[in-house]
Amino acid sequence: MLGQILYALPFLAQGFAVTLWVSLLVVVLSLIAGVLLGVGLVYGPLPLRWAVRIFSDTIRGIPILVLMFFVYYGLPAIGLHLPSFWAAVSALTLFKTAQVIEYLRGAVGSIPKGQSEAAMAIGLTFRQRLAYVIFPQAFRRFLPPWINGVTDAVKGSALVSLLGITDLMQAINQVIGRTYEAMPLYILGALIYFAVNYALSLASRRLERRFSFIRE
Amino acid sequence: MSEASNASPVLLDVSGVSKAFGAIEVLRSVNLEVKRGEVVTVIGPSGSGKTTLLRCVNFLESYDSGSIRIDGKEVGYLSAGTRQRRGERDLAAMRAETGMVFQSFNLFPHLTAAGNIMLGLTKVRKKSQAEARSIAEHWLGRVGLAHKADSLPAELSGGQQQRVGIARAVAMEPKILLLDEITSALDPELVGEVLAVVRSLAEDGMTMLMVTHEMAFARDASSRIVFMADGGVSAVGPPKEILAAETTNERLRTFLARFRASYF
Repeated sequence: MLGQILYALPFLAQGFAVTLWVSLLVVVLSLIAGVLLGVGLVYGPLPLRWAVRIFSDTIRGIPILVLMFFVYYGLPAIGLHLPSFWAAVSALTLFKTAQVIEYLRGAVGSIPKGQSEAAMAIGLTFRQRLAYVIFPQAFRRFLPPWINGVTDAVKGSALVSLLGITDLMQAINQVIGRTYEAMPLYILGALIYFAVNYALSLASRRLERRFSFIRE
Repeated sequence: MSEASNASPVLLDVSGVSKAFGAIEVLRSVNLEVKRGEVVTVIGPSGSGKTTLLRCVNFLESYDSGSIRIDGKEVGYLSAGTRQRRGERDLAAMRAETGMVFQSFNLFPHLTAAGNIMLGLTKVRKKSQAEARSIAEHWLGRVGLAHKADSLPAELSGGQQQRVGIARAVAMEPKILLLDEITSALDPELVGEVLAVVRSLAEDGMTMLMVTHEMAFARDASSRIVFMADGGVSAVGPPKEILAAETTNERLRTFLARFRASYF
């Protein structure tokens, strides 16, 4: 049994690399899109605020799996054929973006209005106010839910196996298909996911402590 | 153009400014002039539009009609006739010329006392870190807080925070300083230290427009006092005239009487 697992390790490692790659893409892309749209939601003109609000509420109301199947199987109907990998990454990114928008709105919204006004009063432009006054203070509130979201993204990436992508989950299933050793392989898989996410939450706690000197 | 405007003794010219929040008219055709070096104090019952007027001067609030000029230049809008707002950069540059001190201090909690003062100097005035630091230290010294340069706002008392707030505003070398009830959030024993700083700035010739409930201070430090009621200017004059108990202005007399009853 152990021999079979050892034999399968390189294959599992490949799957794990795909899991990490998908997670990284989703986390980075959703961070960029979510922060931009979140700023639009908080500070943008009314039509933009409405558009972001509708986007966020709609996406968050749909199960990720439905979103993924919709992008992969549904979009070709309007002529948009995405390869399975990118269909999965887009769907997960859309979902994560909607979450990042809400984290940003919550974090920025918690900063008192007087901070923006004081920053305006010394002549800072909108971008400068965000960069030097609002974001540094909002960061501490943004971080904990966002890191939680990152671990969700790593776990949620297992869904890409349903589009036939050989990530860690799919690799495990394939090895089980050959060895019929379900229990030890699922335990191994769980341990790998756990190791990644536990490392992330440890890092998060360190970061939070690092920024806790900012008091209100 | 700047030479022509510099020749004029009037620094701030508010004329016919009106503003409504929905159905409530907070400012009704307000007229007010502040000359260079003057200290003008606005008093009046709460809800009379004092703070709103102050916030219009550096365009933290927009206004519906009228004109506000600093050094001959229209604030906030491209011209008095249009309601077309200035662009973001233009507005920021205009605001840098007016300093503002807030009732609730509004120091940046993630920056030290010196850092609070340096932010505008480095990002808006484009000074080097070293130069900004020395200006910050100079002003912290002026407000008696040289030893607190590296303290975070949370480590300072209310009075100390407000003195940093004043230093942050004046370090930008504004043309006019706006003070919005800057001692209202302070414990009584801390009011004196903040007013002493304002007084020393007035002695240096800093032009100031302030809203305050400190009548004794208003009487001693102001060149003129403006009494506002119901969104309009009800009386303007030298402190002795305005604060005289025997004034013929009915509203003012009621205000002062109520004030004396509750504060003295």
